[in-house]
Amino acid sequence: MNTAKDIEMNEFEPNIVAFLCNWCSYAGADLAGTSRMKYPPNVKVIRVMCSGRVNPMFVINALQQGADGVLVAGCHPGDCHYTQGNYFAKRRMAVLKKLLEYIGVEPERVHMAWVSAAEGQKFADVIKEVTEDVKKVGPMNHFRRRNRW
Amino acid sequence: MVNTDELRKTAKEIVEREDVKYVIGYEKGTYGCRISPSFAFSPEDADKFVFSPLCVQNLAVYPLLEEKLPLKRGEEEDMRKVGIVVKGCDSRAVAQIFQEKGLDREDVILIGVCCTGVIDLKKLATQFPEPLEGLEVTEENGNFVLTANGITKTIPKEELLLRTCIHCENPTPVVYDVLLGEEVAPSKEDYQKVKELEEKSLEEKWEYWEKKFERCIRCYACRNVCPLCYCKECMVDHLSPQWVRRSVNLSENAAWNIMRAFHLAGRCIGCGACEQACPVDIPLMEINKKLEKDMKELFDYEAATEEEKSLLTMFKPDDPGEFIL
Repeated sequence: MNTAKDIEMNEFEPNIVAFLCNWCSYAGADLAGTSRMKYPPNVKVIRVMCSGRVNPMFVINALQQGADGVLVAGCHPGDCHYTQGNYFAKRRMAVLKKLLEYIGVEPERVHMAWVSAAEGQKFADVIKEVTEDVKKVGPMNHFRRRNRW
Repeated sequence: MVNTDELRKTAKEIVEREDVKYVIGYEKGTYGCRISPSFAFSPEDADKFVFSPLCVQNLAVYPLLEEKLPLKRGEEEDMRKVGIVVKGCDSRAVAQIFQEKGLDREDVILIGVCCTGVIDLKKLATQFPEPLEGLEVTEENGNFVLTANGITKTIPKEELLLRTCIHCENPTPVVYDVLLGEEVAPSKEDYQKVKELEEKSLEEKWEYWEKKFERCIRCYACRNVCPLCYCKECMVDHLSPQWVRRSVNLSENAAWNIMRAFHLAGRCIGCGACEQACPVDIPLMEINKKLEKDMKELFDYEAATEEEKSLLTMFKPDDPGEFIL
């Protein structure tokens, strides 16, 4: 079994979980795909109806279960399908990032982005940036679950 | 300090009222010098009431812990009020619950007592290792004078006070119906401990918290004593989805402690009951205070104030968002 230390930093490929909102970011990711844009394959997408749906517990659980980084993406402010869901998400993630940093988890592991349905290129760029950031900080070993079901 | 006779008299007057179910206060406990919560259903019960720096419990938990049995046919719900003896911090907890509409202002009668700080029982145990029967505590020029078994000890207040009491910003209750005692001058919270930890590197921080979280036995005492953890079903008790597994290991402990703190973001009123209840001495207030400090900085928000809604149930379009890509 490869433990984190066996893997050298430069070959480390992070696992990133992306929570994409159904109306903008998921469509943005779709556009990036149909336009055949290149972006790192490290990202696993979970579609949620709104970025406001993302419970901070989702983020913590993702980090527990093997994600090295988490991205939460939603519509641009003012464009939310549910009018204000992304504003709530923004507040929550701001608090969560502060808290994680205080506990000692690198703040680079949790990202948030606004990606609209027309921004395929931006989606690809965001994924690139997140992947690079998480690569830099290395594998998440703080409170990963050791026992698996 | 609050005059005991005055407290009893006030409590009696309130219990006697027709629209009052009972009054919650403090009485002498059954173990050592401990004080336990007391429920006065009749004026005679109120004769047991005491108030001293040993009254560490936050009584604001009780109105929301009360079990409401299903009503029998034809029976009407008991809508009478509950009286509570509140210290400064307890009154803030009640104010925060009002704001969240957990309780209605009409549901409770608050007997505010001006508090000069309570004793940390863990610190007391280092001074007096054996349980003390009939410990008398009085205050004199910033010292606690402890008398037990004929021995008198004078100890500077700072050495015995609960950590949150040293920098208490609200020693005088913020909401009350009756106020007892003389108003106490507030001191200023300086977030010393939080700042010290913030300056450390990420590795050092995690090393610090890892040691603390590893100790956690997940008894959930911190949740049960918290006046603001009053969800009918806590997220850790959920089985589907099971957010936090029952196994006691670092991963689940960390998840629990992070989420507990997160759920109190902008709501914690800093009474320190969680830390006091923790059997393994996890410095929970250090996390709570950190969030309190950040909420002030980020959103200019403070718990238990005149704000209409609690922090995470509202937003402002110009919330800080530099971290967003």
